[in-house]
Amino acid sequence: MSSTKKIPWVVKYRPKKTDEVVNQEEAKKLFIKWIDSWISKKPEKKGALLYGPPGSGKTSLVEAVAAEKGLELLEMNASDYRRTSDIERIAKASSRARSLVSARGKILLLDEVDGISDVADRGALEAILDLIKNTQHPVVLIANDPWNPKLRGLRDECLMIRFRRLTKTDVKKVLRSICASEKLVCDDDAIDYVAEKSEGDLRSAINDLEAVGEGFGRVTLSATKALLRTRDRDLETFEVVRRILTSKYSWQAREASTQTDLAPDELIKWIHENLPRQAQDPEDLWRAYEAISRADVYFSRIVRSQNWDLLAYAVDMMTAGVALSIKNEQYKFKWTEYSPPPEIRKSAIVAREVRRVREDLAKVIAAHLKCSTSTAKSDVIPLLKVIFDNNLEYAAKLALGLNLSDSMITYLSESRGEQIVKRVEELRQEIRRETRKTVLELSRESRASSGRARTKQSGKKEEKNSRGLENFSRK
Amino acid sequence: MSSRSVMAELLWAEKYRPRSLREIVNQEDVVKRLHVFVKERNMPHLLFAGPPGTGKTTAAHALAHDLFGEDYRPYMLELNASDERGIDVIRTKVKEFARSKLPVEVPFKIVLLDEADNMTADAQQALRRLMEMYVDVTRFILIANYPSKIIEPIQSRCAVFRFISLKREDVVARLKWICSQEKVVCDDRGLESIYEVSGGDMRKAINVLQAAAALGEVNTSNVYKVVGLATPVEVRALLKTALFEGDFMKSREALRKLIVNYGLSGVDIVKQLHREVFSSEVAIPEDLRVEIADYLGEIQYRLVEGADDEIQLSALLAKLVLLGKPLRQQPQLSKPVKR
Repeated sequence: MSSTKKIPWVVKYRPKKTDEVVNQEEAKKLFIKWIDSWISKKPEKKGALLYGPPGSGKTSLVEAVAAEKGLELLEMNASDYRRTSDIERIAKASSRARSLVSARGKILLLDEVDGISDVADRGALEAILDLIKNTQHPVVLIANDPWNPKLRGLRDECLMIRFRRLTKTDVKKVLRSICASEKLVCDDDAIDYVAEKSEGDLRSAINDLEAVGEGFGRVTLSATKALLRTRDRDLETFEVVRRILTSKYSWQAREASTQTDLAPDELIKWIHENLPRQAQDPEDLWRAYEAISRADVYFSRIVRSQNWDLLAYAVDMMTAGVALSIKNEQYKFKWTEYSPPPEIRKSAIVAREVRRVREDLAKVIAAHLKCSTSTAKSDVIPLLKVIFDNNLEYAAKLALGLNLSDSMITYLSESRGEQIVKRVEELRQEIRRETRKTVLELSRESRASSGRARTKQSGKKEEKNSRGLENFSRK
Repeated sequence: MSSRSVMAELLWAEKYRPRSLREIVNQEDVVKRLHVFVKERNMPHLLFAGPPGTGKTTAAHALAHDLFGEDYRPYMLELNASDERGIDVIRTKVKEFARSKLPVEVPFKIVLLDEADNMTADAQQALRRLMEMYVDVTRFILIANYPSKIIEPIQSRCAVFRFISLKREDVVARLKWICSQEKVVCDDRGLESIYEVSGGDMRKAINVLQAAAALGEVNTSNVYKVVGLATPVEVRALLKTALFEGDFMKSREALRKLIVNYGLSGVDIVKQLHREVFSSEVAIPEDLRVEIADYLGEIQYRLVEGADDEIQLSALLAKLVLLGKPLRQQPQLSKPVKR
């Protein structure tokens, strides 16, 4: 193995046949049936959306099926089709019935569609929809989370195929067979540890096994733990936080905070997350929160004044300040399970996005009602929510009148937002039809008048009509 | 045409806003004097003062409409000072507009500053200079709930107009008229209750009317239903979980949900909590109400300074859990009589 060119194990051991795709029988059956329906030219839906947790075999299955059926695989990642033009390029390729090079059929594979941003990549999702409608070849989309509202349109056009999270047994089976082909001696408990840690993500399990197996001739539990733990930031941070929260002296707590690579403004989030788990006495909890919120105030002062000298005080308060606040020994030294702070970045992005929608909505209302955005937020939005939750038809008409975006509508009604968005679209189409009809009538009218000499009067009438139209479409 | 107009709806507060001074039925004294400005095509700087929803902004727009005609927009710069309150806006946007050349067709331009009492003192000083320098081409209309927050030199340069609270029968009559235009079924008791909940604020009243109409007809039960639904229960639940149940973890989860799913900022939540703390619907001992309010003030100050929403509000929750401890230990004694 050492002499040959090194291929990562995840690539090397990718399933070549559908049989080798682990434990996704239902998905396999559905997918193969769908591909066969293409070969016999009668697919019910032209797209398929494969979804499920990472490392459960979605891409592998598509590759294996393509290989078995002799189909050419045109694959694109989210980063490739951020722009509408990229998608149009594939669309062109797909509209040709047969590729010139080979007479083989094709599968178009768009990976990570949930990675498309509906804001930044505006148009991309619509282009994919067009692609599905016009394609001559099966279009396969892959996503981890298909229930994201932005994928709503795609869901309707696609056959939905679910992949299950792999069990620990599934993962272990594959790891063992890899060990066998690599002639790697591997202890059972080590395999167990790797499989456990992967949480059903086979890709990450194989990567871990490769990392451990490479350096050591034999894979033991202790070696595995040692290697994988250093890569496991969470475990290490837990210990630091535990030491801080259970410190009896200020020096202990301050010293503990130096044992991590985490920046102080990250560490404070970890302490904030786990503090209530250790400080269960209300008195302690309050004192500790006084301390940590003081630290937070220091951080904000640092940001504003750029005076980094203050950092020392922030750290004092979030470590020693918190530790010494926890006095009730009944809880102070008790072992409790910690958890990492919620995916801060992700939830912060969601929060920021929602906040932006709310802010934009307030601006729309403020412009209409000639009031401030804060009045719009406190007085008007709550009432609009009542309307949007209770009267779908009326809500749709208001949304149309105020020209609200889809995200504003779903902000106003969590439960019925999607229905309202749909209804607004119907109303828009109705209006478009009406407009077309009017335009037709107008042109008929002008055709009729063109026989005669064009008088000033008819010209005026036409102008009036078209202005009415303009007003109306603005509405 | 009719089939089209039923497709889109507007907010009634906008749809039924008087466009011309002639359409304004209240504030007779004010309107009478404004008519004179239109007739003479001249006016001093104006300061409109009075409670919200009494027609100040409407009167300003109607005045501009009557002075400059249907297309009065280009001759008026409209700013809401609570959204754009800094000195920069005054120095750039307002100054640029104020000193720009006067179009021949109008006697002057208008700068409308809504919620001017939210302007910083610096911004007001800068504004005062502009009011002097460009008075020959530009007149200012300032609108404020609290005229005392407008600095003295500006007040002395303006003709002050006081808008009074709308009378019950005026509000009810207007609402009834809107109902007839919209072909909405309403009864007098329902309209009276709208007046009660909106406290003479016409804009609020019309908004409540529209929401109640969306539920079917405008009667007392729908009006209270709307008001109930529009009062966010989540913030109240947050308060109750921390104070009465003493469950810190649960309340912190609820807090995160408010921040992430509802897009509320820390200050939004503090303000709503403040309202809840003094609500008669939440049974908190009187001395605790005051203590909580004091702490809310502290938290809001820290947040405005730039502190972290989640940490600061968690500190508040910890405080509530502690304050509620005696209530939870002797539930039968501490349960105060609901007011």
